[in-house]
Amino acid sequence: MDRGQMAKWFKDPVKMGHKYSLGVVYFATGCGIIEIPPTITTRWDAERFGVVPAATPRHANLFLITGYVSVKTLRAIIRTYEQMPEPKYLIGFGSCPINGGMYWDSYNTINSLDKYVPVDGWIAGCMPRPEAIFIAVTHLWTMIDKDMADGYKRYKKYYRQYRRNQERVLQHLEWPPLYPIGEGE
Amino acid sequence: MDKTLPEKIRENFPNADVSSVEEERLAVTVPKEELIDILSFVKNLGFDHLVMVSCVDWIDEGQFELVYIVTSYVSYNGESSGKGRQHIIVKIRIDRSKATFRTIIPVYQNAEPYEREIHELYGVDFQGHPRLTPLLLEREYPVPPFRKDFDSRNYVKEFFDSIPEIEEEK
Repeated sequence: MDRGQMAKWFKDPVKMGHKYSLGVVYFATGCGIIEIPPTITTRWDAERFGVVPAATPRHANLFLITGYVSVKTLRAIIRTYEQMPEPKYLIGFGSCPINGGMYWDSYNTINSLDKYVPVDGWIAGCMPRPEAIFIAVTHLWTMIDKDMADGYKRYKKYYRQYRRNQERVLQHLEWPPLYPIGEGE
Repeated sequence: MDKTLPEKIRENFPNADVSSVEEERLAVTVPKEELIDILSFVKNLGFDHLVMVSCVDWIDEGQFELVYIVTSYVSYNGESSGKGRQHIIVKIRIDRSKATFRTIIPVYQNAEPYEREIHELYGVDFQGHPRLTPLLLEREYPVPPFRKDFDSRNYVKEFFDSIPEIEEEK
């Protein structure tokens, strides 16, 4: 353990625990998933950073969207995100979730992921190297330290707007709202 | 000496236009009324595997071209190694303004998802198909999206770009 961080551990042990044990759901849409096997295995070894693949979304707190998001995929992403326990962080990996990437004029690919689910950070590039994931994870540590990784709080606060956008794209959602619609902005 | 495959097809279907695309690929263009007959015919010859059904939109000619690709796991000359394996590509044209055709499920049962897909993406109605329900798409589109007159860019601008950003207090 880094002795320089001792004070932080005594001050807020829960936050430090969250920082160094990120269970990840890799959402394998599109080509980005090809970067994940070298990342989590011995070549780059994501476990150095406490990043461990989680078996189910209910055991995870980091959600990595690795690739373009079609309308059908968005449904699965929303369901997965809503199942994860708080605190939860969502990172878009690659240029496609940011603005559509090379699929920006497709009839079935949503262009900006952050209109439908709150995104804590982006990894730009097509494709980003595995090192970029570690840079993102270390940035996320800093953000957790400063309480800036508040995507799940924003989701709750502005749930009415998120749900409105989700319903506009998917037309019918077969699950009830996660939070009461009347509350929040 | 047995007759070759193109000769057999020409003999039985005088209206068919048989041409060899490349080695081991045979393109057969037939009138649309003869499609079920020719598919049953080649199925009896041993071509028991429907690879795929595809569709081409010839918008200037006002026609859809339906493409049925059949093959067999055992090669036509009896070798099981797969060498000399023949593909037959059967093509028909249907009218674009009245895009209906009959299903080929009675001949090849695995045509079901392909026909559903074409129904969804091109708007071709396959009569006799048991369930033409949505397969891939989640939304309804003004024009089926794989038709050439579907303006993808305009659709993105009008629909996806019109969804508002989340307005947050600073």
